[in-house]
Amino acid sequence: MKVTIERANLLKALNHVHRVVERRNTIPILANVLLRAEGGDLFLKATDLDMEIVDRVPAMVEAAGATTVPAHMLYDIVRKLPDGSEISLETGEGGTMTLRAGRARFSLQMLPDADFPDLNAGDLPTSFTLPSPVLRRLIERTQFAISTEETRYYLNGIYFHVLGGERLRAVATDGHRLAKAEVEAPEGSAGMPGVIVPRKTVGEIQKLLEDPEGSVEVALSDSKIRITVGAVVLTSKLIDGTFPDYERVIPKANDKILTLTKADFERAVDRVSTVSSDRGRAVKLSLSEGRMVLVVNNPDSGSATDELAVDYEAEPIEIGFNSRYLLDIAGQLTSEDAVFKLADAGSPTLIQDQTAEGTEADALYVLMPMRV
Amino acid sequence: MSIRILPDHVINRIAAGEVVERPASVVKELVENAIDAGATRVEVATAGGGKSLIRISDNGCGIREPDLALAVERHCTSKLPEDDLSQIGTLGFRGEALASIGSVARLSILSRHAEEPHAWQIAVEGGRRSETVPASHSGGTQIEVRDLFFATPARLKFLRSDRAEATAITEAVKRLALAHPEIRFTLSGSDRTTLDLSAARGESGALERMAQILGAGFRDNAMPIGGEREGVLLSGYAGLPTFNRANSLQQFIFVNGRPLKDPVLAGALRAAYSDVLARDRYPVLALFIDLDPADVDVNVHPAKMEVRFRDPGMIRGLIIGTIRDALAREGFRSASTGGLATLDALRDRAAAGSFTRPPEPGTSPAWRSWADPAQTVAPDVSSAAYGASPEAEAPRPAMAEAGFAEALSAFAVLDRPSADARAHVQPAPEHLLARPLGAARAQIHENYIVAQTGDGLVIVDQHAAHERIVYERLKAGLEGRAVQRQMLLIPEVVELPEEDVGRLLARSDELAEIGLVVESFGPGAVAVTETPAILGRVDAPKLVRDIADDFAEWDASTRIRERLDHVAATMACHGSVRSGRRLRPEEMDALLREMEATPQSGQCNHGRPTYVELKLSDIERLFGRR
Repeated sequence: MKVTIERANLLKALNHVHRVVERRNTIPILANVLLRAEGGDLFLKATDLDMEIVDRVPAMVEAAGATTVPAHMLYDIVRKLPDGSEISLETGEGGTMTLRAGRARFSLQMLPDADFPDLNAGDLPTSFTLPSPVLRRLIERTQFAISTEETRYYLNGIYFHVLGGERLRAVATDGHRLAKAEVEAPEGSAGMPGVIVPRKTVGEIQKLLEDPEGSVEVALSDSKIRITVGAVVLTSKLIDGTFPDYERVIPKANDKILTLTKADFERAVDRVSTVSSDRGRAVKLSLSEGRMVLVVNNPDSGSATDELAVDYEAEPIEIGFNSRYLLDIAGQLTSEDAVFKLADAGSPTLIQDQTAEGTEADALYVLMPMRV
Repeated sequence: MSIRILPDHVINRIAAGEVVERPASVVKELVENAIDAGATRVEVATAGGGKSLIRISDNGCGIREPDLALAVERHCTSKLPEDDLSQIGTLGFRGEALASIGSVARLSILSRHAEEPHAWQIAVEGGRRSETVPASHSGGTQIEVRDLFFATPARLKFLRSDRAEATAITEAVKRLALAHPEIRFTLSGSDRTTLDLSAARGESGALERMAQILGAGFRDNAMPIGGEREGVLLSGYAGLPTFNRANSLQQFIFVNGRPLKDPVLAGALRAAYSDVLARDRYPVLALFIDLDPADVDVNVHPAKMEVRFRDPGMIRGLIIGTIRDALAREGFRSASTGGLATLDALRDRAAAGSFTRPPEPGTSPAWRSWADPAQTVAPDVSSAAYGASPEAEAPRPAMAEAGFAEALSAFAVLDRPSADARAHVQPAPEHLLARPLGAARAQIHENYIVAQTGDGLVIVDQHAAHERIVYERLKAGLEGRAVQRQMLLIPEVVELPEEDVGRLLARSDELAEIGLVVESFGPGAVAVTETPAILGRVDAPKLVRDIADDFAEWDASTRIRERLDHVAATMACHGSVRSGRRLRPEEMDALLREMEATPQSGQCNHGRPTYVELKLSDIERLFGRR
């Protein structure tokens, strides 16, 4: 294999693929990136056996061929080369690939490309296209609620599914809170199976969706998903499990409606939780007509009280929440005012954006209170 | 083959298999008989690891002539006066020991009852009893067992080496001796060094005997234990956490004077020390549980190594509670062996050729040490300086000057003491010297506080000590208030065996108090709806299963408390003064004062000491002044 390529092109492609490669591997070849020169392109591919990313960049191919070299090292080398340099890659005898740029010369140990694992996506019956920002929003609204607890592995991802052929919905929960976001279902998504996309894959997909004008192709089966953004193709396994029946935990009859200015609320929660200890940051909200009192009590250090004018007319209630969860959710809201729907101190509370009369919020959050 | 009743000698040998397992069990049975007979002196002699000879003499009440022949028969005993198995006041009661021993060995009993005109003797060989014949003996009973297991060669083959069997006998005698400090025990024989435990009476008697058996160090490192609950009395001595061992062989528990190896009690001990000792270390202790014989069933195990309590949970609670109280009370004490170990370490290094030297006038006040004196100091000085001759203690000035200059030049490559923060240049204030941890004098290596006490010096590991103080404070805070609970959006269903579900639900109130709410979810499962908020996201199924296991085994669970404490420990580690931080004199004194006030500050969370104390006498000994 012998190719010449622009540094900027190679760096961009490596940027996409090298993140998949784990820093420590028990299988040596997983630390490598596969390079394949073919026609006028150089293909780069990296995998962690659960996910693979392939990118394609234009290159001058003098001799077609393929090899694998350490991914992070190659990335670091290319990153440190001067802007605008031409890089030539050439496989040689003795199992090394030579990289030349200007007067710099590197030899990298190769491993045979034939040994490089393939994820083998198989048949992906469902496919549809979405504008990048739409998928990006679905992910951003829900990502924070993904569970990190290994025992309930089926919560370690975002659950994407289509409702009645009309709404494409993303849901994530860690058992303490739940986030739900939805958009109009794109064409072709009708028969889509409900899939759980793992946390690491979600993070990588999100990074591919930076172009506000672009669109993204999604293809999936019940065990794999493939995302294509321009020349980059990301293929990943899905979490093999059943997502719990989340609809049941979304309260329908919460009748105590609280509307407040989000920014003020965020600042007040942040202010009073200064006195709470590292863990179990409970903040107690006391609601009465037009008024919210926030109290944090930390027997080790002191207590804090703050007060907000809010829009509340139902009967008074006292309810405790983990302040970090409140801030997480408030950070996701986009409207100026936030709406809370409460039932009592022991039942889930609904939080969402303020919407115009007659329209539904596209994202909804459920938070379980704390007993304080 | 038709069914028949086995002949007596076979029955006896089968029974012997349970009661008389090895020579040590013979010794145990016979010494127990002697104790039951009210002896104040018990002499045990053995040969060949007890295989060829065991002779036990006592000055007890003796046996009357007509009883002698009965004594060696099966199920014959003088110890169950009311035939009531629930009121057993003696160590023995089964009436099996002598018959069993007689059926597998050559047994001879020589005894004189006070009311008999002379002694009588009877012999049993492999189950065949001889006539009772008149004999001469001064008083009490002497029992000889020769050629143990000669009648059951199979058992003989399974015995261990003479040495191992002799050691087992020693252990058996020690166990019984611990429980009876008022009796003088001697254990001698050609196969051992003589053990002579003189009778020790009164308050200090028990501790005296423990020191004889557990080693003299125990006396200085034991805390008296005393507790009572519902008529059950717990007494004895338990070792400080820093005085620990790698196995549980030095743990002795007696129930009504009967030594036991009971897994339930062992579990209670581990729980009691869980907070102050690493899991693989064991405290040294001797505990006595005294209770109404009706509340304990000793008729569970042929060798009576295990018993059954009517209320095991209460006994467990009593042990844990009482020991924890004692630990809290004596907590800031640290094992005095720390100082002794320090001395040993210093001596070892001195012997290996390096030495530490006191400051000399005109040189730096910091102590200098160097690894190989031969390289830096003239050899005669190095050897003489450590020698005992008085003139060598002060090396000739010229030599010392030269030696010191060279030492300085070689110094850079050697272990350099960090600059010390000095607490008090003036003499330490009297009122501080009188405190247990004394007055802080300096900080060395930016981690160790050197303090002066009235009669010695104390070295404190500042990180370990402060960590423990912060930990205790956090723990006290956690205990005092209700645990905040995070409710779960999706309850976690945990499948469990039905009986575990029942046990968990029966105590759901107790669990809710410490932050875990479980609800019934059908016959074979529970739903966890709330978890302790401080634990963050917990692996609820594992936690619930562990708790269920604890309930099944102990009837109680400290697991959540342990988890909460663990969080506190982690926070303590982050929130405490690290090593490497230079402390101002006031800070050092404050730390010492706080250690004195904090329960269990004598050891870190893993049972390592937070400070060692060197008595002035120890230091003087180090310099050969004593």
